[in-house]
Amino acid sequence: MAGIWIIAENREQTLELLRIGGELSTKTGTRLSVFLSQDRERARDYIECGADEVFILPPLTEDQSLDAYIPRIIVEAQQDVPDLILIPATARGKDMAARIAARIDTGLCSSCMALTFDDNHASFVMERLAYGGAAVQKVVCTTRPAMATIPPRTYEPADAVKGRQGQIINLPAHSPSTVKILEKKVKERESKDITESRLLVCVGRGVEKKEDVALARQLADVLHGELACTRPIAEEYHWLAEELCIGLSGAQVEPDLYLGLGVSGQVQHVTGFRNAKVIAAVNKDENAPIFKAADFGIVGDLYDVVPKLIAELKK
Amino acid sequence: MPAIIACFKWVVDEAYVRRMASGELDFSSVDYKIGEYDRNAIEEAVRLKETLGGSAIGITVSVPEATKGVKDALSRGCDQACFIADSSFGNLEPSQTAAILAEVIHSRIQSFDLIICGEGSSDLYAQQVGPRLSEKLGIPSVSFVQKLSIEGGKLLAERRVEEGIEVIAAPLPALVTVLPDINVPRIPGVKDTLMASKKPVVTIKKDELQPLGEACLQTLSITASRIERTCERFGTNAAEISRFVGSLRKTGVIR
Ligand SMILES: Cc1cc2nc3c(=O)[nH]c(=O)nc-3n(C[C@H](O)[C@H](O)[C@H](O)COP(=O)(O)OP(=O)(O)OC[C@H]3O[C@@H](n4cnc5c(N)ncnc54)[C@H](O)[C@@H]3O)c2cc1C
Ligand SMILES: Nc1ncnc2c1ncn2[C@@H]1O[C@H](COP(=O)(O)O)[C@@H](O)[C@H]1O
Repeated sequence: MAGIWIIAENREQTLELLRIGGELSTKTGTRLSVFLSQDRERARDYIECGADEVFILPPLTEDQSLDAYIPRIIVEAQQDVPDLILIPATARGKDMAARIAARIDTGLCSSCMALTFDDNHASFVMERLAYGGAAVQKVVCTTRPAMATIPPRTYEPADAVKGRQGQIINLPAHSPSTVKILEKKVKERESKDITESRLLVCVGRGVEKKEDVALARQLADVLHGELACTRPIAEEYHWLAEELCIGLSGAQVEPDLYLGLGVSGQVQHVTGFRNAKVIAAVNKDENAPIFKAADFGIVGDLYDVVPKLIAELKK
Repeated sequence: MPAIIACFKWVVDEAYVRRMASGELDFSSVDYKIGEYDRNAIEEAVRLKETLGGSAIGITVSVPEATKGVKDALSRGCDQACFIADSSFGNLEPSQTAAILAEVIHSRIQSFDLIICGEGSSDLYAQQVGPRLSEKLGIPSVSFVQKLSIEGGKLLAERRVEEGIEVIAAPLPALVTVLPDINVPRIPGVKDTLMASKKPVVTIKKDELQPLGEACLQTLSITASRIERTCERFGTNAAEISRFVGSLRKTGVIR
């Protein structure tokens, strides 16, 4: 076995990949390697968290994105074919993973939510969602290396072992990509992390205008909860921040209570909170799919129901 | 005059996928559609050609029954379509789909300026075919684009990443995958549907292609995910609202 590789992007997710990568490398008796941009300090950090070796990629100029590393990683992967490559399922990670997989002609399990090693077949068995979350698809890669992108927070971060030793190897420079970054507009993160919230009030398209989000916020406040939303609210209307979107392409949450207001309950959204302890919803359409996914559903107009709920909860 | 290619997939409408008692998926009453986000890809290609001139070409790899989808793409404004059809193309893996698209685009379309893919297909949502296709064709690609233009023979794109937005320039020809908020897809009218029947469609059969490689990913199983909830209903009068809040309190999730 030639080992398990992790392509690092940010620290948080690299530690999560080190957790699963570490478990699998122990099980298969192979080396665990991390590919990292520039930072030697970070390399030592990753070694303490389980990496046996860290490959340091030369720094990128301002106008280059992570994809400039693709050619280098391909060369390395062709020389020393690893068994498994793990990449975080971030925007850049997903893009890089698919392009690397295409170049080395191998399979990639996108947004992998469970990953185990099957001793009998000496293969990695990976699980992902299909049909918007209506189904779970179990796959194996018939080619080497197997590849997977793993969504943030799928695994706990790896623990550090002080003084753990490993190798740090510098990789040579690469030619720059023709894709140039002209400008980076960094957005401030203005909202709470909804994956930490116990109670979520979710705004759907049944809320008619931006000002009315205040009504949902009042309800969230009396519940001591936070606001979340469906994808159209964040991406089409931009009423709430993208990181508040729950679902297949948004955040996966497990609150004590999910309360949807004017949410239809399409499978891609419901998938994001299916493990909530209690699911409740207000929708005026009695046939809305959300009612099949909810413990408690109020069939009614949210503009009528929400003020009543607030009053009742204040009692 | 640019030629712009929009890649779209004809998919099962996931809202109709049911769970059988055995846990298997039940496709007996499904309907099909052009993937949700692929409508944005088509719309963007059509808008670009409407402002820049040139042509928008819709392309799909699918089962022969997808003629309906091809017609839908033409109704949505594509000038012509390329339909790669075989009864075995219903369950392709992203590496195979990308290989077929690359071969056809390379050998049949040859000269193009931009390829537009959706952010992900509605059924697999692998988010792979676009970036894989760009590598197979050896052209630059930018994923998760929320805004784009062609200026001075270059692609300018706003790409959304976790920390914000990267404004990107790339030489053409290039490939982009677009986010759903890049545009609002038009709804074809009767006239569009009538016009669609007159537009050219090139159909390519499996035996005109290189032999298809094995799937890199082998699916061991697909099982329906389970949602089991009590599904209790409440009304909106005072008594019902108080019963609803009472039920929530009883579960212990609120005080
Ligand atoms: C590949 C893919 C990935 C996706 N990923 C996600 C994802 O991660 N997250 C996500 O949320 N979506 C996702 N979607 C989109 C998803 O399919 C739905 O389109 C979306 O969740 C619908 O949002 P909504 O419920 O707010 O709006 P709608 O579906 O428009 O529902 C609005 C609901 O409000 C009700 N309503 C209207 N007025 C009132 C009123 N006055 N009082 C009470 N109820 C009212 C209506 O009856 C309706 O049921 C994805 C789609 C695809 C294809
Ligand atoms: N069979 C297909 N035919 C044409 N384009 C496709 C096909 N499958 C996927 N695509 C394109 O690739 C994108 C990503 O698909 P996927 O990798 O399956 O999520 C889709 O949004 C489409 O634009």
